[in-house]
Amino acid sequence: MPKILIVEDEPILNKALTEFLTEAGFEILNAFNGDEAVKIAQTKKVDLILLDIVLPKKDGYEVLDELKKDPRIAKTPIVLLTNLESMENIEKAFDRGATTYLVKSNYKLEEIVGKIKEVLENAK
Amino acid sequence: MWIINDLDLKKQARELGVKFWQTPGFLFIILGVVTITIMTATYYISQVYDSPEVLVLAESFVVVIVLTIGNFVISSIEQMVRLNRMKSEFVSVVSHQLRTPLSAIRWETELLLSKFRKEVVGSKQRQSIENINTLSEKMTRLVNDLLDVARIDQGRLIIKKMPVNIVTIIEEAVSGFAAITKSRSIEVLFNDKKNIPLVFGDPEKLRMVVENLLNNSIKYTTNHGKIEIKLLKKGDFVIFSIKDTGVGIPVEQHERVFDKFFRSDNVVKYQTEGTGLGLYIAKNIIEQLNGKIWFDSVEGLGSIFSFSIPLNRKSKK
Repeated sequence: MPKILIVEDEPILNKALTEFLTEAGFEILNAFNGDEAVKIAQTKKVDLILLDIVLPKKDGYEVLDELKKDPRIAKTPIVLLTNLESMENIEKAFDRGATTYLVKSNYKLEEIVGKIKEVLENAK
Repeated sequence: MWIINDLDLKKQARELGVKFWQTPGFLFIILGVVTITIMTATYYISQVYDSPEVLVLAESFVVVIVLTIGNFVISSIEQMVRLNRMKSEFVSVVSHQLRTPLSAIRWETELLLSKFRKEVVGSKQRQSIENINTLSEKMTRLVNDLLDVARIDQGRLIIKKMPVNIVTIIEEAVSGFAAITKSRSIEVLFNDKKNIPLVFGDPEKLRMVVENLLNNSIKYTTNHGKIEIKLLKKGDFVIFSIKDTGVGIPVEQHERVFDKFFRSDNVVKYQTEGTGLGLYIAKNIIEQLNGKIWFDSVEGLGSIFSFSIPLNRKSKK
């Protein structure tokens, strides 16, 4: 069962993602801020990270930077899931090694599951 | 007084949200009048007094006056630009803030509707949840439109340019609306599509434009109507056109069709839904892709909306 870390500070969104992904057959770990995200990613081996950008303590870009520096995690696919969608934001994310970039309000949960499966398939 | 009437300064002041005497038009008129008066005065002064000191003094007086009024003009223009930018920023911040709760509503309703929970919810509740879901999707689209308008106003709408198959985009849009057109017995024809080369544009944005035009045609066509989409290669462009048997647009409103928030009078009477943003966004997208958008419409008979889009470089011969 693939293990996914959801990094999302909005509790309702975090919960909705967790429930849907659990029922879609993933094992879920949750983080509600950037610090927590880095700690969990470094201690538990996860297969994929869903990462928001606007986060307390550390933002998504800082989390990306730290995780990509860590050789144990550098290869773990990181899918950005955010409501920012300017070209600067998207380019900044890809420059720092994000695998994909999804805009929350444009995706249904089902489509997010589809994207996650696609990314996991490619990462094999 | 006719100049003032002609420039319609009151309207300008109202639109710009400044006081009458702060409108650039008014200040320019004053500037002109003051300059002429003072120059005439200086001329007379130079005739009467023969000393250079008086002349220099009079001229510096003119310069001071012109600079003062000029300064007023500049600062009132600056203020307007600032207000306008603040308005765009406001729209963009608010829209962004709306997105998170909207995503939450959509995801929560999707969770309720998802196949894992079918057995829990009765069909009446299910219908209500589906309605909430549809409405929040609509609201998301509206927020996205407002964000696009704010980006257009700030000159930050980003448009990609790549080879695009416009035929597929149209086919997908048509099948996306199939449920609505079927339920209202509207026939959608899309026949002339052979030998259409790739165009050069932004697939996502072109999809938006096509969907918007198709949506308008459907919305304003009565049941059992007919909609016809055509593609035509002409020179270095592909011309898209969509013809409907809808309510049409009154002649006196033709020039405002692509304005922001425009909705024609005959439409507002019976079709309350719509923001008047779609065509404004479409025009901006098509023009940024180096195409043109235009229409032809007769009230009561229908409209033809068309746009041109450049061919992909390699498809040109």
